[in-house]
Amino acid sequence: MGSIEGIMTGFQTAFSLEGIMFVMIGVLVGTFIGMLPGLGPISAIAVMIPITFGMDPSTGLIMMAGVYYGAVFGGSTSSILLNAPGISGTVATSFDGYPMAQQGKAGKALAIAAIASFTGGTVSVVLLMIMAPALASVAISFGPPAYFGLMLLGLTAIASLSEGSTTKALISAVVGFMAVTIGIDPQTGTQRFTFGNANLFEGIDFLVIALGLFAIAEVGKLIIARHDDSLSEKQNVGSLRITKEEFKDMRGPMSRQSFVGFFLGVLPGAGATIASFIGYIMEKKIAKKPEEFGKGSVKGLAAPETANNAATSGAFVPLLSLGIPGSGTTAVLLGAFLVLGVQPGPLLMVERPEIFWGIIASMYLGNIVLLVLNLPLIPYISKILNIPRPLLIALVIMFSMIGVYAISFSTFDLYMLVLFGVLGFLMRLFAFPAPPFILAFILGGMLEQSFRQSLSISNGNFMIFLESPISLTLIILSVLSFIFPLLKLRKKKA
Amino acid sequence: MLGTMNRKISLILLALAAFYLIMTYNLPSYTYTEIDADMVPKGLGWLLVFFSVVLFFIKDSETEEQRERRNIPKKEIITLLAVTGMILLYIFLLEILGFVAVTALFVFFCSWFLGYKKFITNAIVSIVFPVVLYMLFTQFLRIELPQGILPF
Repeated sequence: MGSIEGIMTGFQTAFSLEGIMFVMIGVLVGTFIGMLPGLGPISAIAVMIPITFGMDPSTGLIMMAGVYYGAVFGGSTSSILLNAPGISGTVATSFDGYPMAQQGKAGKALAIAAIASFTGGTVSVVLLMIMAPALASVAISFGPPAYFGLMLLGLTAIASLSEGSTTKALISAVVGFMAVTIGIDPQTGTQRFTFGNANLFEGIDFLVIALGLFAIAEVGKLIIARHDDSLSEKQNVGSLRITKEEFKDMRGPMSRQSFVGFFLGVLPGAGATIASFIGYIMEKKIAKKPEEFGKGSVKGLAAPETANNAATSGAFVPLLSLGIPGSGTTAVLLGAFLVLGVQPGPLLMVERPEIFWGIIASMYLGNIVLLVLNLPLIPYISKILNIPRPLLIALVIMFSMIGVYAISFSTFDLYMLVLFGVLGFLMRLFAFPAPPFILAFILGGMLEQSFRQSLSISNGNFMIFLESPISLTLIILSVLSFIFPLLKLRKKKA
Repeated sequence: MLGTMNRKISLILLALAAFYLIMTYNLPSYTYTEIDADMVPKGLGWLLVFFSVVLFFIKDSETEEQRERRNIPKKEIITLLAVTGMILLYIFLLEILGFVAVTALFVFFCSWFLGYKKFITNAIVSIVFPVVLYMLFTQFLRIELPQGILPF
């Protein structure tokens, strides 16, 4: 199938009645969950996965993509209204968004955020449409050694996912990798670390880990903070109108950060968080009045909002075309693909064009939905922030339970969920970041497979990884992209 | 006492690595391949040993804020344990009493226990949510949830 035909199929899938409906559901639910303090895109995607069971894979994935960028947008809303970013990707949004809300201009801030998100999202989808197929057509000839290089490149994201100690991030990743070795080895049939328990033969389901380490662990934090009333103070949203002057101010940051954010999103590990910070800092540096930043500057709000949404679409490039996630969130999204029986990677575009192009096409729609549906509804949606904490806690636990039970139909997995919830909670307490764990868990299985396949081809000779120019390049890139953030970190400390 | 927490954690991790390595070295070998199932786990085990040792010796980079986060009042720890207990009870009863009954009870008592005192709203939410989700899953998505004592 030619690519034009593929694109047509994709648009047909996305713009069918079903497609439109599920984009809307996804975006709305994503915004809802993303707004809840503590719950970010990872929890949102993980909680929604069971709903996609029995759905057509392309519809299900279109919805999940909607949940993803909906949640990123929802995070901005709580950053602006409450100064409580649900996720790290919207921390920079609160720098100028919250001051603006305090000045009684919450509505305006939300409108700026929505328009900036829309611009960043739309521009980057166009770039995604150009870049993903190009990358996929290069990657289609990759053998196991090159795949190993790719997975390795994906894993280097760990270095930049560490919030404090890199050692802790690496430990988190190694343990995540260990967790995926549990089960029957697909290549030799050897039972590994199952203790003879039949429930472990197929390994631990990724949803158990995602919901445990994120949703359930966040519940622990919510329980401790349930008396904290500062989060439920009511904000008057006010008018949503933006003046011509303000729109003029937004244009510069929006046009620059759409591109910067997109390319940072493509890189493994960079993602929305780094993109939003770089966007903010960059605009502050080139602004004529940098002193306005941090006090409710229009530019200071538009920049990170454009950048984080552009990065969100950018992250789909390696995910769709190479099958490697560059962040914890895209790792969970990859898990959602696998649950629906879809393997993202270079073959996706050829074998399942309706999915590949359907997701991309749906993102145009999703961005419009974000703007048109969410903006007028924001005052109502923000009511969700008034849900009493105790009730919210009980409901999040309930959703996680259903999610896991609906895939395994066994209470064993539910006990595992509690176990990983406790682990996730402890990791938070002791400052071990959880995203490297889930990233290594998702990539680990594929990494091991391509590693052993390569060595089987070469009869155990490690030179196979250095002989092919593609895998050699990828390995060198991995080493560089791993070391670079560390060096930068060291410089900052010194 | 700088870094004691890191050291304690590193010892726990070393124990985990040792346990994992012992199991790895006891994996049965498969004759027909050069690259056996224990290759990657061996590497992972030793990698964890290495990082644990690094963690033991590096300077503690923890910020005051991170330390503060660990400072949970005793009362809250008991609350956390109680909620965990409730979840375990929920799982235990799920396949016995069925999804709707157990979930309704759980949502009601869990939010009541955590301080939500509006009984009527709480009762409505804890009945409506499980029923709607049960219908959604069994009728619309065709995923069976434990029926339990309910007649439908």
